[in-house]
Amino acid sequence: MDASITTLPFPAVGEGTRARTRVDHKTSEEAALVRRVQARDEMAFREVVERYQSKVFSIIFGILRNRNDAEDIAQQVFAKVYFSIKSFDFRSSLLTWVYKITVNECYDYLRKKRVRKLVYESDFSREDAQRMETSEPAVDGSVPADTRLAQRDLILKLLSKVSEEERSLILLKEVEGHSVEELAGMTGLNENTIKVKLFRTRQKLLRAAGRLTRTR
Amino acid sequence: MHREIRDRIEDVLTGSQALARPAQFAEGSSSDAVGEHLAQCDECRTEVQGMQEQKALLRELRAPDDFAADLRPGFYARVMERIEAEGPISIWNLFIESAFGRRIALASLALALLIGVYVVTSERSADDSTIALQSSQVTTEQTIVAGEDAPAREITQVDQSQSDQSSEDAVLANLVTYREQ
Repeated sequence: MDASITTLPFPAVGEGTRARTRVDHKTSEEAALVRRVQARDEMAFREVVERYQSKVFSIIFGILRNRNDAEDIAQQVFAKVYFSIKSFDFRSSLLTWVYKITVNECYDYLRKKRVRKLVYESDFSREDAQRMETSEPAVDGSVPADTRLAQRDLILKLLSKVSEEERSLILLKEVEGHSVEELAGMTGLNENTIKVKLFRTRQKLLRAAGRLTRTR
Repeated sequence: MHREIRDRIEDVLTGSQALARPAQFAEGSSSDAVGEHLAQCDECRTEVQGMQEQKALLRELRAPDDFAADLRPGFYARVMERIEAEGPISIWNLFIESAFGRRIALASLALALLIGVYVVTSERSADDSTIALQSSQVTTEQTIVAGEDAPAREITQVDQSQSDQSSEDAVLANLVTYREQ
């Protein structure tokens, strides 16, 4: 990746970037559920947990590849949701908010465990482990396990260099596969703002990659 | 990166063929300008390539398609147990648990200590200077009175009893006392 990237001004509004009508997160069925949780209705909280637990697990596993700690982190995520739900302001969807908490918890975990150590302790698949032991390249054309681990290590490091908001946004776009329009609906921001934020995040990641390459 | 690409970067990154075959990307599409620009501009092409590598790296964080959460039964109960064990988050936890919070707490303590030391030392030096001023007044007044053949010792005692007054008041009081005698 090229490190010589200059900071650019806001991208101009392109032809297809007209702002859409914002999704009103205050009047949805989800908002009613959130209000019940805010009023400490345990049945409502149970519904939130059951609705999002699989998603939270999958996000955690995607980032950490560690089943052993995934449940512990997921519990922590929902405990945070429970204690912080009163500060939820309905500007974004509940999923976006839970997603951000989940990613932050994963990064807290990484900070505590030290990224490098953790990656090599991950419970990657048996095939991956065998490939690493024999140091043979993958025969099916897939990326070798050690390369994949190094890539994961690199991207996690790069993501630690951007803000929480930028990190969540780029992960929602590239990992969860949401479109710019969907992100605008989920976050309550307009499409142009989403594009600007994504562009700046991509630039920051490129710069961080450049710095990392220079220091190696 | 030039504006033509910057404004459409999300579209460019979504259409992966743009880099592999810039000419074809341009062919007959509404993105003629993008394809042509990428074919000609090394700087933009390099940066877009970097962003596409990033995109591929980010996909490594996707859970496998066959991933099943495999949650043990009773997850909700364990969450509630944790909530009960942790209790509500206290504002003090923010200072104790986070490294940044600890640094802020330490910096605040150091600042409070510095302010305390400053206040104590400045008050002490103010007291010292007041005492020095008062003693110098006494000496001056003794000299004046002695010069006029007055019983200096008595006047000094009177003056000492008025040590909390300002210097001008003290001088006037001395003169009045002297005339009466």
